[in-house]
Amino acid sequence: MVFLKVYFALNDNMNLMADIIINVLISFLFGSILLGFHRKVMARIQLRPGPPIIQHFLHSLKFFFKETAFPKTSSMPFYISIVCILCAIWIAAVIVAPVLKGSLLLIFAIYAVYKIVEHNAGSSSGSPYGKMSCVRAVFSAASELPLFAVIFIIYLQVGSMNISDIITYQNIHGSLILKLPLVAIVLFVLILSKSPYSPFGITKGKDIVSGYETEHFGLLRGYIMLSESISWYIFSWIFLTIFFGDLSILLYVVGMLAIAFLTGLINATTPILNPNHSVMSQISIALIGIAGSLLLMFTF
Amino acid sequence: MRTLVKYGYIILTVSLVFILYCLIFNPASWIVYSVAIVFIPLFILSFGLITMATPKKDEEEDRAREPFIGY
Repeated sequence: MVFLKVYFALNDNMNLMADIIINVLISFLFGSILLGFHRKVMARIQLRPGPPIIQHFLHSLKFFFKETAFPKTSSMPFYISIVCILCAIWIAAVIVAPVLKGSLLLIFAIYAVYKIVEHNAGSSSGSPYGKMSCVRAVFSAASELPLFAVIFIIYLQVGSMNISDIITYQNIHGSLILKLPLVAIVLFVLILSKSPYSPFGITKGKDIVSGYETEHFGLLRGYIMLSESISWYIFSWIFLTIFFGDLSILLYVVGMLAIAFLTGLINATTPILNPNHSVMSQISIALIGIAGSLLLMFTF
Repeated sequence: MRTLVKYGYIILTVSLVFILYCLIFNPASWIVYSVAIVFIPLFILSFGLITMATPKKDEEEDRAREPFIGY
């Protein structure tokens, strides 16, 4: 797929739909491999052999063929359509980020919708675990959206929210990670929050089984896993692009593996926080990151 | 369940037609974005509705019964 992308990237007349489909496929395939690698890192740190790296990808496909039934308590057709919406918002993110290199504000909006989808996926199932997760999704939105709000510091530095402008700025002035290290840390905490078994992963904490995914099994679980793979790839891509500029394919791969490794390392050695601690930690990190970045910007 | 599979085939056909239309005729950008955001997820869903295994007739009731009703 990478070779196909390189081939088409050289072709200026590339069909837009083909571009989107190729990017969605790359996001899914590479995102699921990254999540598999993340799980492998966690297992190795905990002295377990762990599943093969390709396991997340195989699971995503396997669930499409598993027996699927829909609980009586679920609110149909919302129960099915919510996973469709989850996939749709991440495809929208693929279009905004790797395809168009568009505005970070749109990614922020997509992330806000994603929190609503998490909330609704939990409430649509009718399970108490799902409902508990749905309440926690609101909690986490209150702390993760401030984390994402640090992008306004990037706007203050670059003068634009467009990813293409941020890339151009870095080509002239050097990587943003050197100018805005605190913003990078805050956005890394956001990525960490979305990683599996994260200390901030309160919506899928083991105390509520699998949270909003508890009653989504079979086909719907495979569909959610597919969307999660795309979202993981997109988060890694955005982080690398806005802090390191437009990298070569090899550097993107190395960077994404490094992010997966670091989050795996942290998750394997950190317990899942309770909702209060998680929210307060995230908000504190966001406030320190924003205030510190502003101080650094206006001091130097 | 059989109805869902039937819907699956219908959605698969419709989404495939729209995606192929965009691939072949390269319409305006906003049409391509709309089709991608709406019909790619529907295409994947319909694929799943067709390929998923369904429970046997007499087991269907047990599968759908929710063991954790209410708080």
